[in-house]
Amino acid sequence: MARYGMALDYKNCINCKACEVACKEENGVLLGADKHRIWVGANDVKGEWPLLDIASAAFLPSQCQHCDAAPCQEVCPTNATYYDENHVVRVNSDKCILCSYCMNACPYDARYVDDRTMTVDKCTFCSDTRLARGETTTACQNTCPTKVRTFGDLDDYDSEISELLRTREHFSLKANLGTKPKLFYLT
Amino acid sequence: MAETVEKTEETGLIAKAKAFASTIPYNKIGMKDLLNYEKTPRNKLLAVVILAFLAMFVIGVATYLMHGHHAYNVTREHPWGLLIAVYIFFVVSSTGLCIVGSLGDVFGFKDYEMISKRAIFGSIVTIMAGFAVIAFEIGHPVTMMIYNVLSPGLTSAIWWMGTLYGLYLTFMIIEFVFLLKHDMKNAKIFGLTGLLVGLAAHSNLGSVFGFLNARPISNGVFYPTYFILTAFITGIFISFLIMGWRYKMEFPENAKKMLTGLAKIQGLLISILIFFVTWKMLTDIYGGMPNRSEVAVHILGSWTFWAEVILAMLIPLYIILKDMGKNINGMVWASASGMVGIFFMRYNLVHDTQLKPLQMMKIREYQLSPEWVHYFPSGTEIMISLGGLGLCLLLYYVGSKLFNLDADEQH
Repeated sequence: MARYGMALDYKNCINCKACEVACKEENGVLLGADKHRIWVGANDVKGEWPLLDIASAAFLPSQCQHCDAAPCQEVCPTNATYYDENHVVRVNSDKCILCSYCMNACPYDARYVDDRTMTVDKCTFCSDTRLARGETTTACQNTCPTKVRTFGDLDDYDSEISELLRTREHFSLKANLGTKPKLFYLT
Repeated sequence: MAETVEKTEETGLIAKAKAFASTIPYNKIGMKDLLNYEKTPRNKLLAVVILAFLAMFVIGVATYLMHGHHAYNVTREHPWGLLIAVYIFFVVSSTGLCIVGSLGDVFGFKDYEMISKRAIFGSIVTIMAGFAVIAFEIGHPVTMMIYNVLSPGLTSAIWWMGTLYGLYLTFMIIEFVFLLKHDMKNAKIFGLTGLLVGLAAHSNLGSVFGFLNARPISNGVFYPTYFILTAFITGIFISFLIMGWRYKMEFPENAKKMLTGLAKIQGLLISILIFFVTWKMLTDIYGGMPNRSEVAVHILGSWTFWAEVILAMLIPLYIILKDMGKNINGMVWASASGMVGIFFMRYNLVHDTQLKPLQMMKIREYQLSPEWVHYFPSGTEIMISLGGLGLCLLLYYVGSKLFNLDADEQH
């Protein structure tokens, strides 16, 4: 029993997209499903030469926020979307009816249709793959060359992520919507 | 011993049900009767149109069964398309007809009793057409029926909407049976229950959009209440079309009286609707709230919004106000315009909700940053939608042959 979350030291991101590749490889994401399960947002540089606004060229790696009050879970008519024992937001593909309400309700655009099962899929924090094999890291975290991601148990006082959140300032995306995301962006 | 008792009870129940069913008045009809209609150009044209729509339905469904959602132009950014809009169009029509039908047999307004049976039957066929369309939009309709019961998502507006609409259809059918049997007491009880369940279902459909915190343009109390208002308006439009067709535009006195009354109610309802929509737009734009204000401005610039305003609001209101609701023939034509406008209203509702990309800085996916999500229905979506309309018209035609939909003589 854990309450998994992820801290992202996003300013370290170099947009190499190794996380996207590792995620696809680990979780068998189909070809063509780009920026569906995990993505690196990239802002174009603003301004005109030579007055370029270098700070505007930010990268924002992201994925499902595994909200503690997930809108996608609330709107699911068959409870196909559920919180597992580790507070990870998951989809039971046997129960999913593909009404797509969750795709409309997710403020983070983090859900997509898996063409194999024709049900809605999303990031699972590698629960079916790496965590099921007893590993303690996600594929995106493991592969990151600049150590942007830290994954761990938010309820464990001694975990690396708890330590980071205690010592570093951080923010969450669209926190004003009351979704209580478990992805934290370190500033 | 116990088994025998149970069996006797069971056979008793079945026998009772059979006996009850045998008392429902209906005309025995065959294929010949269905093909035996007055061969006027108007009727022939309608017959050809219905057949064409049904053929489209078959082709559309076959294409969907082969290619799944890939046959539709829905995308991850715009997961709800034309079929959701058409489903809403049909269920709004159903709720509206249920309200109009209830005026006579539930609320006791004698003038409106003459349309009760037609309206209630109309509400049954429209919701069936709606279900037929949504069955090909929901990816796994059979799974839905199983897990709606086994693991109900009670916080989901879609669960409540679907479940209540299922109940509503049952009540409407029971009410219709009692109307046919001229058992007005039971018709009233089931009519009132069906109306309340239908209104609950319908406002839940509004809340499917109203609950979307992620979409500020739809979020809030507006849609759950507006849906009830527009349902009543839609019901009155369809009532004019039904009566216009029934009496071939030559109305007897009692029909004129009823339709003038309905036109006056419609004048009031459309005025309230214009008031609602005006303030919705103003509050959306005022203050420049991100994700809401610019979407509202974008909506104001789309032709589908103005099609909705002109066809469903301005034209009918003008016809009503010009002759104080007495121009019945004009109102039938205005109602045809109104229904086209109502279709755009539903399409806009669905499309506008999804106009604004959720972004998350996926700039390259969405091209340029404040870009809009585009959507235009595919041929398959259009064929299934028109097929739904064909199905609705066919069921109504069969019903008009099978049952006596006119008010009983005693009235």
